[in-house]
Amino acid sequence: MPAPDPLGFLRDALAGAEDAALALLGQERVRLAVTGLSRAGKTVFLTSLVANLLAAGAGLRTLPALEAASGGRLRRARVLPAGVEAVPRFDPQAHLAALAADPPRWPARTEDLSTLALTLELDRRSWFGGFLGARSVTLELLDYPGEWLLDLPMLRQSYAEWSAATLARLRRGSRAAAFAPFLEFVDALPEGAPAEDPLSRRGFALYRDGLRAARDGHGLRLLQPGRFLNPGPRGEAPLMWFFPLPRPGGGGLAELCARRYDAYLADQRAAFFEPFFRRFDRQAVLVDVLAALHQGQEAFDDTAEALAEIAAALRYGGSWLDRLTGQGVRRVALVATKADHVPARQREALAALLEDLTAAPRERALAAGAETGVHALAAIRCTEDDVATLEGRPVGAVRGVLLESGRSAKVYPGEVPMRRPGPEFWRHGRMFEMPAFRPPRLDPHGAAGVPHLGLDTLLAWLIGDLL
Amino acid sequence: MSEAPGAPPRGPRVILEEGGAPPRAAAPPPRGAEGPPAPRLDFGWERTVAPAAVARLRPGTAWSTLGLLGAGAGVLVLGLSALEAANFVAAQFARATWLGVLTLGVAGAGYGLIGAALWREVRGLAGLRSVDRARAAFARGDHATAREEALRWAAEVPAAQSVLPALRGCNDPDSLRAILEAGPLAALEAQAQALGRAAALQAFAVTAVSPSAALDALIFAWRGVRLVRQVAALHGLRPGVAGTAALLRRTLFDAATVAATDVAVDAAARALLTNPLLEKFAGEAAAGAVAARRMLRLARAASEACRIVPPR
Repeated sequence: MPAPDPLGFLRDALAGAEDAALALLGQERVRLAVTGLSRAGKTVFLTSLVANLLAAGAGLRTLPALEAASGGRLRRARVLPAGVEAVPRFDPQAHLAALAADPPRWPARTEDLSTLALTLELDRRSWFGGFLGARSVTLELLDYPGEWLLDLPMLRQSYAEWSAATLARLRRGSRAAAFAPFLEFVDALPEGAPAEDPLSRRGFALYRDGLRAARDGHGLRLLQPGRFLNPGPRGEAPLMWFFPLPRPGGGGLAELCARRYDAYLADQRAAFFEPFFRRFDRQAVLVDVLAALHQGQEAFDDTAEALAEIAAALRYGGSWLDRLTGQGVRRVALVATKADHVPARQREALAALLEDLTAAPRERALAAGAETGVHALAAIRCTEDDVATLEGRPVGAVRGVLLESGRSAKVYPGEVPMRRPGPEFWRHGRMFEMPAFRPPRLDPHGAAGVPHLGLDTLLAWLIGDLL
Repeated sequence: MSEAPGAPPRGPRVILEEGGAPPRAAAPPPRGAEGPPAPRLDFGWERTVAPAAVARLRPGTAWSTLGLLGAGAGVLVLGLSALEAANFVAAQFARATWLGVLTLGVAGAGYGLIGAALWREVRGLAGLRSVDRARAAFARGDHATAREEALRWAAEVPAAQSVLPALRGCNDPDSLRAILEAGPLAALEAQAQALGRAAALQAFAVTAVSPSAALDALIFAWRGVRLVRQVAALHGLRPGVAGTAALLRRTLFDAATVAATDVAVDAAARALLTNPLLEKFAGEAAAGAVAARRMLRLARAASEACRIVPPR
């Protein structure tokens, strides 16, 4: 396991002092981490957030709940001009243009990190303070491949622990089928297999193919390491040529895999977690609960387990060191995305289901002093509520325009349970894939924001107290 | 699985509707496009979020603890001293009428001067508030408020009086902004730059010959404050002490962003002038060049802070 960073405290203290000085000058900085598993809708969420905040800053009522929370003090919002950052810049305009294009395109799978900062100019709360000019709050946003988030729990595990836990998981349920060639390969490896590259590359390729099959064929989410599924712009490097072994403590190949495991985690820590994930103040965890529900019991339970693993690995600012340096997350919002895929009366059930699913992680966050809230939202609303007749009975449905064919379709999303469903719920046995809808009519420049459901309520809860 | 009678069907379904286009698809064809656009839902979002649809919330203001403390102390000092002075005047009248009249005159003059100073402060702060209102109105596209503020501002600023008729004829914030930026604001910008160059020349000269770094800083600060007040006066603002402090705070935060650049320029200038014979004078001259650059930047930042139109 890689050693923890000894200078972390010093860096946290410096960052805390810098934040305090900026706040004293009326130039607060808030780092909002938008986290979530892959395909949870992070990119669309960030695009909608930026477009709607910019429009709200221009006086449009795109975010009424946030406007109420800020007491109508938001005067202006603008994207902070680029400086000399080495990280790619998140481009909401390009995403909006693609969504508004004919034919429309949803953002592709995120392949790399990108960042963007928004500055919100606000009137001061006090009458005297008003003479000091506008206060500003800078929101720092980050988009990244969701698969990488699952490397976070690995930081607390040694190679031997990770190998044992992963292999036990691979032998269960539909994973066993997806990973059959890999399991056959590792089970056939002799004890003390030599540290040879052809062997390690073969094992890596089989393991990576298994991860892909589990993700694409079975809708599973708890798949580690994240860069195996989404290597990012740097591509596949030799430090990734490792995989779980049944006897991870020996020499030869096992020792080589253990060294590469440590090197991989050190690299992820240095390139991703330390600079971007160590310090943030507010956090939104996005979950596509409905898709997990539609993909069957195993995928649903797997999503819940992945969420619990991630939540356990996040840093909530509860320790005395965090309090001393002013670091750590103060508010965590758990968000069920794509809420427009269910009719209005089922959105509460969607939020309640997520609440039930994340009860344990929420308790942990609460114990650490972070507030938690559960929300259901659609960052871009693509459907409207309707009624369908099924088996002679009227049922609540949603209606939208299908992305591929351009035909109007009603979708009955099934009943969304308010709690983690029991075995009888899964007995209908059919897996269902929600069709992709076309985005609604949009201004390609996003001057009026974009239609959404519940984004304003989420932002009011998440950052309303800072405005 | 058999479902309970009356219970909704559990499994999700997709039900395709007859015909391609949904009833509410109303996207207009893009100019120059061939064929009809792809059908989409239209929520009428632009109309829903238009600022005119619902009255904007009035920003709430509250008294901060420091504000309450300051106001209380002010009331006590002024109120009690006024009562004390009134008692003293009454006592003087009891002694002799001429003495009472004289004391009343002295007290009236003293309080009158204090009142005039307070009035000047309030007017200066109100001017800044007015600039804030105008900028906020331009930023959110509130034409009525932006026009009202622009007309009031133009009536008070000599450089803008020529565009008053054009401003009265404007029907949207964009044309208001265009007229202001092309006319009076461009002229004010040029005048601010001229003031900045004059201040820069003085800062350069003083820094090059001054005997100590502490004196440099003092002179730079004094000249900087004076420059900010001069630029504010160009824009029709007459800030008092509190107004100047507020303006300095706004200006300096912006100007501070160039501090890092200045450090690099300073180092480069000093590195170029490494001749030992020239070191003494040229080193100070390099510091003076940096001070002059800062003064020019300060003039630009002060002008930005005083504009009634927000920067694009």
